[in-house]
Amino acid sequence: MTHSIPNNIAIAGAGLLGRLLAWQLLQANCKVTLFEAGSFTPDTPQTNRAAAFTAAGMIAPLSEAVVSDEGVYRMGQFALQQWPQWLSKLQMQTAPLFFQHGSLVIAHPQDISELDQFERELQFVIPQCKTYRRVNQQQIQELEPDLNPNFSQGLFLAEEGHVHNRELLRVLLSEISLLGAKLREFTPVEVAANKIITEASEEEFDLVIDCRGMGARDQHPQLRGVRGETLHVETKEIQLQRPVRLMHPRYQLYIVPKLNNRFIIGATQIESEDRSPVTLQSSLELSSALYTLSPAFAEARIIEMDVNLRPAYMDNLPKVIIQDGLITANGLFRHGYLLAPAMVENVLAHIFQKEEKVFNELLNC
Amino acid sequence: MSYTPTLPAKDFTLYGETFSSRFLLGTALYASPQLMRDSIVQSRAEIVTLGLRRQNPNDRSGDAIWDFIKESGCRLLPNTAGCKSVKEAVTLAEMSREIFDTEWIKLEVVGDDYNLQPDPFGLVEASEILIKKGFKVLPYCTDDLILCKRLLDVGCQVLMPWGAPIGTGQGLLNRYNLRTLRERIKDVPMIIDAGLGAPSQATEAMEMGFDGILLNTAVAKAHNPPLMAEAFADAIDAGRKAYYAGLMQKRQTASPSTPTIGQPFWHQQ
Repeated sequence: MTHSIPNNIAIAGAGLLGRLLAWQLLQANCKVTLFEAGSFTPDTPQTNRAAAFTAAGMIAPLSEAVVSDEGVYRMGQFALQQWPQWLSKLQMQTAPLFFQHGSLVIAHPQDISELDQFERELQFVIPQCKTYRRVNQQQIQELEPDLNPNFSQGLFLAEEGHVHNRELLRVLLSEISLLGAKLREFTPVEVAANKIITEASEEEFDLVIDCRGMGARDQHPQLRGVRGETLHVETKEIQLQRPVRLMHPRYQLYIVPKLNNRFIIGATQIESEDRSPVTLQSSLELSSALYTLSPAFAEARIIEMDVNLRPAYMDNLPKVIIQDGLITANGLFRHGYLLAPAMVENVLAHIFQKEEKVFNELLNC
Repeated sequence: MSYTPTLPAKDFTLYGETFSSRFLLGTALYASPQLMRDSIVQSRAEIVTLGLRRQNPNDRSGDAIWDFIKESGCRLLPNTAGCKSVKEAVTLAEMSREIFDTEWIKLEVVGDDYNLQPDPFGLVEASEILIKKGFKVLPYCTDDLILCKRLLDVGCQVLMPWGAPIGTGQGLLNRYNLRTLRERIKDVPMIIDAGLGAPSQATEAMEMGFDGILLNTAVAKAHNPPLMAEAFADAIDAGRKAYYAGLMQKRQTASPSTPTIGQPFWHQQ
C-alpha cells in the first residue's frame, strides 16, 4: 500500500465521534468539512439529534463490562486516561467537564440479590479486579450524605468517572470552529468512497469518515436503534458527587449529577426504533427510582424528558470498517463516552498509517 | 423383555403441531441480540417466545429485532408480558397475531407488579375471549389444580404452570401441587414455565412427567448464555429419557445390586 496520508477529509455526522475526530484531525493540520443532518446546537428533545446529547456521560468501564465484556472494560480504561488528557487541551473550556469520583451501585434491602449478582458477574468478567469494594450503610452515607439512609449495602467502583457531555459537545464545536473546520449543518448526506452526496451536489474528498450513528441506518442493514428514555430534573436540595446506579430485578437505572443542580436519570433500554415521547410507564419507573434514592427528589422540577435511539450492531459492540477512501465508525450503543476515545484513536491510527493500531482486534472485524 | 432403547421421535404435540425439542426459550434480557441467537442455536429450541408490549407494536418499531429473531427459523410464540388487565392482554394478542401472523399466544395476565404472579381470574377470562376469537392459547398459570381445570374448561389445550415466580431461579417450589397436576391432568401437554434457575431443576420437572420447559432468565443471565442453553437442553433430554425409561421406586433400606452370598457372614447384617 502506497497511499499518501489524506489531507482533505469529510466527516459525516456531528455527534460525539464526528466532533472528536474533527478536532483531532484539525490539530494534525488536516482540512476538515463536518456535515450534520440536523442542527449543530440542537436543543429540543425528540428531534433526530445525536445520541450523544441524550447520553448521561458516564465513563463506567466496570459497570458496563458487567453487561458486555472484557474488551469494553479495556477500551473503557483507555477512556479514563484519555478524557483528562484531551480535555486539558480544550481552550474553550471554562469549567471542569470530567470527574473521576467513582460510582456507587446500590440496591434496596429486598433486592440485595441483584447486587450480589452484579458483583458475581463483575468478578467473572474482570477476575482480578481490585478497584471496587463493598460498602455498608455508614460508608454509603459518607460517600453520598444526601442518599436515603435505608440503603444498607452497596459497591463503590473507585475508578469510574463521568463527563458533562452536553457542555463538552458545545465546547468541541467552538474548538473545531476556531481551528477552521468547514461546518455544514442541516445537510443530510449519503456517503461513498471519497465522496459526499448531498441533495444538491456530489463532493470529492481524500477521505470520507462516516459516523452518522442512526443516520446511517439505511446504508447499514445490520444497524438497529435501541430506544432509551431519560428524565432531567433540577433541585438544590440534593448533591451527589458521583453517578449512582440502582439495581432492581427488572430495570437498572442510574442517576448522574450535572451542572447547575441538575440530574439525569436514565435510561430505559427497549428493543424498538420508536422515537415517540417517553411513555407513562417509563416515566413512572424513572421517577420512582429517583424518589426512592432520596425523598427530597419529590420536589425536584422536571426540566426535560428525552428519547433517543442508540445505534447498535447485533452484538452491541462498535465497529470501525476500513475501506479505500471511506472509514465507517458506528455502533457505540450505550457506550458513547466510554468507547469513543478508543474508537477515535483506532480511526486516527488507520488514517495516519501508524504501526500499532490500538484496539484493532476489538473494533476492526 | 422388549423395549425400545430410544425415545419416540417427535411425540411432543402442541395444538396439533409436533416438535422434537421440549425446550422453549425466551428472547429477553440477553446482553445482545447476537448472544440471544447463539443461545437459541445451542438450546436446540424450536419455539421461542417474544414480548412486544413496550415496543410500540402499532408502528412496527420493533421490526429490526423481530426479523433477527425470525431468522433463527423457530416458531414464534408472542407473549402478553406486562399486561395487567384482560383488555390489555386481548388487545396485545390481537396485535401480535397481525404482526407475526400466528394464532399462538403465550397468555400472561400479571396480577402482581413486583413478582409478576399471574392473575388467575383475569387469565381464565382472557383465555375464553381469545379462544373464541380463534387463538391457540398457552396460558402462563400458577400450579393450582382448579385454575388449570378452568383453563381447560374454556378450551386451552396446553397448560404452562410455573415452577416459581418469573426470574427467581427458585426451581420447583411446590412439588406437591405439581405432582397433583400431573396425576390429575394426564392428557394435556403441560410445560413448566418460569422460575427455573438450574438445569437439574429442569431435569426434575421432566422426570415428574411434565412435557416441556420454558425459561429465559436462567440462560440469558448466565455468564455464558449459549453454553447454559445447551446445559438446559441436555438436562431436559435427560429428564425426558428418565421419565420414559421409568424411575425406580425409592426405598428405605439399601439393597445390594450384586448378591452378597460370597461375603463373610460378619459383613452381612
